[in-house]
Amino acid sequence: MIACVAVVGHQNNPLYIQSFTEADDALKLHHIVHCSLDVVDERVNNPKKSGPTLNETFLGLLYPTENYKVYGYLTNTKVKFIIVTTHLDVRDADFFRRFHAAYVDAVSNPFHVPGKKITSTTFAERVSTIVKSFGLSSAG
Amino acid sequence: MGREVSESCIDSLLTEMVSTYCTRFYANKPELAARRIEAIGYQVGHQLSERYTMERPRFSDHLEAIKFICKDFWSELFKKQIDNLKTNHRGTFVLQDNRFRWLSRISLDSSLEYTESQDPSASAENKAAQSTSMHLYFPCGIIRGALSNLGIPCAVSADISNLPACSFVVRIKA
Repeated sequence: MIACVAVVGHQNNPLYIQSFTEADDALKLHHIVHCSLDVVDERVNNPKKSGPTLNETFLGLLYPTENYKVYGYLTNTKVKFIIVTTHLDVRDADFFRRFHAAYVDAVSNPFHVPGKKITSTTFAERVSTIVKSFGLSSAG
Repeated sequence: MGREVSESCIDSLLTEMVSTYCTRFYANKPELAARRIEAIGYQVGHQLSERYTMERPRFSDHLEAIKFICKDFWSELFKKQIDNLKTNHRGTFVLQDNRFRWLSRISLDSSLEYTESQDPSASAENKAAQSTSMHLYFPCGIIRGALSNLGIPCAVSADISNLPACSFVVRIKA
């Protein structure tokens, strides 16, 4: 299941972070997200294989820790989406595409200040819906 | 998910925006009005670039981003592409649109406007050029906002020396 989703801006400033476990290791999840940002930067700046994979938005598995797997996605505007999952494999970018669509709608809000945290409750609800449906579809 | 409005609504909104900022909010201060309108365009361009780059892989360099502005971005906004792109390969790009959609309803005939009897042609042309150029701050802001969001800080200005063609000069900040 998905433990946590995060949106990080192009200056590595957090725009949205939401955990979906009731456990008290929310801080640990934040820390994992923060560490994964370094991996994203490294992946983008030093590609092991250049060519078709260089400019893909879906970065795949960033790094596994003992309990969690971390997946990343980098948009054209250098906004990073990070998800931390337990036991769940993210094989393609479908989840991230829906997440991206919700993000674009949240940012198109004229009252949203770019660079500040996303405070829209609609966005939070949509993200929860996407996470729930992803969890159900992968379990079945 | 999205609802659409007719194009005449957008045209009216833009015309009224320029008119309000120039005659009511910043009357007699055209530079301030221009800066405000350009800032509005900046935010719009910022948000639009987020939406229109959604499905695409990342750009590898500045030229790719400018080409995206000329083709996909311009098509989404104006239903056509930029007609001509020139560059000096040192950070300056000129995007030429031979029939810019938002200027298509502006009258080009300046002879109807003069009120002074001394040297009417020069001042009438100046006034017409100045009021036309006020309408271009918004698209300049849109281009600047879109490019900034793609990581390319720049300055954008418009050149209307041969209407109805309109050129946007993008200078990338080094």
